[in-house]
Amino acid sequence: MKEKTLADYKAMQERCCNCSYCKWIPLDKIKSNRFAYNCPANAYFKFNTYSARGRFQAGLAVANEELDYTEGMTQMVHSCLSCGACDVACKISRYNLEPLEHNIALKADVIEKGHTILAQKVMLNTLATEGTLIPNMKKADRAVWSEGLGFKDLAKEKAEVLFFPGCKYGYDKTLKETLRTTVSLLLNMEADLGVLGESEMCCGGRAWQMGFEKEFSKTADINISKIQKTGAKIIVTPCADCYHALKRLYAERGLTMEVLHVVEYIDRKVKEGRVTFTKPVNMTVTYHDPCHLGRQGAPFVPWNGTEKKIFNQIHTWEPRRPRNNGANGIYDAPRNILEAIPGIRLVEMERIREYSWCCGAGGGCGQSMPAYAEWVAGDRVAEAKSTATDALVTACPWCNGMLSKAVGKDGETMPVYDLLELVARAL
Amino acid sequence: MALVREIYKEFEEIVGIGNISEEPVVLETYRCVAAQSSAHYGPYDQRTPTPQAVLLPGSTEEVQKIVLLCNKHGIHFKASTTFWSAQGYIGSDNAIQLDMRRMNKIEVDAKNQLAIIEPYAIAAAIQAETMKHGMTCNIQGAGGSTSTLASTAGWQGPGPSSIFTGTNYDNMLSAEWVLPNGEILRTGSAGSGDGWFCGEGPGPSLRAIVRGVAGTAGDMGVCTKLAIKLSPWPGPTYLPSTGAPPSYKADLYENFKYYTLCFPTWEAWAEAVRMIHENRIIYIGHRQFNMFGCDMKGAMVNILSDPNKQLCDLPDLLEDEEIKKQTESMRIDVQVVIAGMTMLDMDYKEKALDEVLRMVGGWKNEMMLKPDIANWALLYLIRMGRKNLNYVYCGAYEGHFGLSRGNYFYSASLVEEASAIKREWEIKHNHMAAVGGNSSMGGLGGVGGGGGVSWEFFAHFDAHDKESIKGVCEYFNKTNQWMAQKGLGGCMGKLNESSRRPDGYNRSQEEFNKTFASTPQPEVFVYQWMVKDAFNPKKLSGSYYKTLDPKAFVEGSGAASRGVFI
Ligand SMILES: Cc1cc2nc3c(=O)[nH]c(=O)nc-3n(C[C@H](O)[C@H](O)[C@@H](O)COP(=O)(O)OP(=O)(O)OC[C@H]3O[C@@H](n4cnc5c(N)ncnc54)[C@H](O)[C@@H]3O)c2cc1C
Ligand code: SF4
Ligand code: SF4
Repeated sequence: MKEKTLADYKAMQERCCNCSYCKWIPLDKIKSNRFAYNCPANAYFKFNTYSARGRFQAGLAVANEELDYTEGMTQMVHSCLSCGACDVACKISRYNLEPLEHNIALKADVIEKGHTILAQKVMLNTLATEGTLIPNMKKADRAVWSEGLGFKDLAKEKAEVLFFPGCKYGYDKTLKETLRTTVSLLLNMEADLGVLGESEMCCGGRAWQMGFEKEFSKTADINISKIQKTGAKIIVTPCADCYHALKRLYAERGLTMEVLHVVEYIDRKVKEGRVTFTKPVNMTVTYHDPCHLGRQGAPFVPWNGTEKKIFNQIHTWEPRRPRNNGANGIYDAPRNILEAIPGIRLVEMERIREYSWCCGAGGGCGQSMPAYAEWVAGDRVAEAKSTATDALVTACPWCNGMLSKAVGKDGETMPVYDLLELVARAL
Repeated sequence: MALVREIYKEFEEIVGIGNISEEPVVLETYRCVAAQSSAHYGPYDQRTPTPQAVLLPGSTEEVQKIVLLCNKHGIHFKASTTFWSAQGYIGSDNAIQLDMRRMNKIEVDAKNQLAIIEPYAIAAAIQAETMKHGMTCNIQGAGGSTSTLASTAGWQGPGPSSIFTGTNYDNMLSAEWVLPNGEILRTGSAGSGDGWFCGEGPGPSLRAIVRGVAGTAGDMGVCTKLAIKLSPWPGPTYLPSTGAPPSYKADLYENFKYYTLCFPTWEAWAEAVRMIHENRIIYIGHRQFNMFGCDMKGAMVNILSDPNKQLCDLPDLLEDEEIKKQTESMRIDVQVVIAGMTMLDMDYKEKALDEVLRMVGGWKNEMMLKPDIANWALLYLIRMGRKNLNYVYCGAYEGHFGLSRGNYFYSASLVEEASAIKREWEIKHNHMAAVGGNSSMGGLGGVGGGGGVSWEFFAHFDAHDKESIKGVCEYFNKTNQWMAQKGLGGCMGKLNESSRRPDGYNRSQEEFNKTFASTPQPEVFVYQWMVKDAFNPKKLSGSYYKTLDPKAFVEGSGAASRGVFI
């Protein structure tokens, strides 16, 4: 597959109209001044440069060889969380721009020209040597979490469902119990479950988000071949990043298997009447939509086309280009589950669904720019607290980690749960 | 040219590290690409000059210190907020750009029906905050993403709701300015410490000096805070909407209704608008969707209100017999929203609107009554949250003609002639989107406007296509000539050019002297020169405040003294 270069985006760079809509949630949805912003990079670093608009204009200057990468510019390029909030906002009115794609192409360009952040290098080294992007983790410890659970090893036997826990769930000791409980739940739901075991490795999605295209492609291709060989019918993952990588990025590279986030799987089982929540969980909660499950969670639709002008200058695509504008993300499944648990009342935040605010972990910034990422998470926590609910719930271990870290910073804590923890309590 | 290190340090001490930058990529992104979002300038295939630094002041005190430092070192400065258009960018090499984004507070004074706002409070957020108190604000035609303060203090600010809410210019109450010489001025009641409720006193009433009629586009210092008058909002405490992106729809009660009113002739259109204006029937009134072009609007409304459609559906939709019929039915139209403060009030407004239509032989377009389309349009017009649809076709547009000099009877009578000129160009050249010629749009005037319309035609072109940019620029030269012939003043597409040269730099005093010496009343510009000299002695801001050097003024030289009025 041919990767696009920055030069391929010149038309878009010149057609961005400087309207600044990429800095706000869709204006129709604004409910307050406090939570009107959508782009964490622009909100934190403040200069227009950091918005999708700034990135288009910067990218154009690079493509025209008018700007060289400096340290400051490198940091600017990598500060994009690849959260896609700008993409949704831009596409409210623009049908012929792809800001998120361009943000990542700019990252790929700066990397190609040799400019990275130190922490990224460490992450990528660990990917090469240990098969994970989490520094200090070892390949040998990958399957420790699953000891004694009695999984099928898909390298040796067949199963209908391939469970793909991802690095964060797999290595983070604080999440181990949640993961083990989840798997027990799935087994109780009569899932015919198997794992890749020791041969499992990182999905590489973060590498893609950071612009390391080659490293991502290599990882993805190895994984795809392993996954295809298992003969499983469905892949289920509890991680939003893995979900996005498997569902969209791997599909683009040829993976044909059905991919479900665990919340979709459970929602399906609830709808089929195979699962009923019996124990009440009495609390009010608010739900954080992970970017890669929500607005970036739509199925991949292949497209191989070109630009076509009609009526002199109206710019369209031929054939019709799929619009990844957040319309088809996974928003309802987690909410259906919350609704099905007796005693839970959901109170929504202001920025939800396709215009949700990122948790700060996106684009690897949680590791490469931790102070910034924590500020982003803090803004989400403040929004959650403004709902005056008992707890903040999410459906991604990375979001969970970022939000949990930020939650007590103002002296007032608020429990942060993975939705799976509440599911476990309700069964 | 970089700032001298000591001066950079001085600026940095004022705003703090992280709020000033001279990083090349930052400077580059604070240049206006004149082909992209020129808003009545060009379009040209170039950018405005590179600022020496970009500063993000966080308070009035910081702005004052910056301005004093600029005075000390002779550095030009310009404040801008959302950077929607060319006039907010610096226009010389020796200049710094102020981005006002750190100052974004909104304080609603519900009792006095006003809001005190800072520069980076955008209109959509102000509306959201005021709705919590049963009020709303005018959202100017450039939409919900623009700074209400910028157009109130520095520009004009008419919009679709101005017929009910007033324009931003009308709604300006007390304001706080850092003048170009660094002095702080509070106009109106705030100037005498009596609160923010009045623009004209008790306290200094210098509104006309600092913003004038047209707005000085950041040339008379930096407005740091101002109060705006609010209007009643008979809806919930937030703006409810449903649906998948991008086709969100309003979810309001029965006391809000959206209609596209259609007319058999332009005379009937003008007569209806007169009656609607005089009888205070509507909440929002704008000829809005014709900006997509008279041949396209039916199809475009179908695309925009349906999340599954795209621009590539245009050709098929244009062949659809029903859409053709509906598009034909709304060639001479206007979009309105009526809002009942009570259901009785609603009943009156519905009946009054029907009576107006009966009297002039008008009708309501059927397709636009479909709930999916009507609720989409209702949300669009209330929040003005999708005004970047101006750019939907190919990424750039420019307004032109601007039939705004006469009242609507005069302007309406010229629409077809202007449309024919545009249509001919669309057919002969491929510089702009061919949308049927007539792409006129605009409001129905302000509350006290006496029926002035502010129309413009849209030319949609491609900022990526050099021929398209050049061709549209040529076309505007032609429309400019036509405007002059018709006694309509300058063409909208050229509005900024009296202040900013085609190369993106400010006009010089010599150029101003040449231009304004022969205007009907050059004395006006000489007077403005004296004002500027008093408030802005070092002339450190831009060239949007137009002046004539008294030395270049020859008594009796004005066209008016020669009996010539252009
Ligand atoms: C697509 C489009 C449609 C438009 N439609 C309309 C319309 O319907 N009605 C209308 O009135 N205008 C319209 N305009 C022009 C628009 O009003 C101006 O561009 C402007 O007011 C937009 O506001 P902004 O928030 O982007 O301000 P900016 O572009 O940031 O600034 C506008 C001007 O105000 C000055 N300014 C900004 N902040 C300050 C400050 N703190 N103190 C002093 N001066 C300041 C700037 O220097 C600049 O000259 C349109 C422009 C565009 C691009
Ligand atoms: S990226 Fe999209 S939303 Fe942002 S300025 Fe460009 S066109 Fe507007
Ligand atoms: S992807 Fe997210 S962080 Fe990056 S520019 Fe867009 S909104 Fe900002």
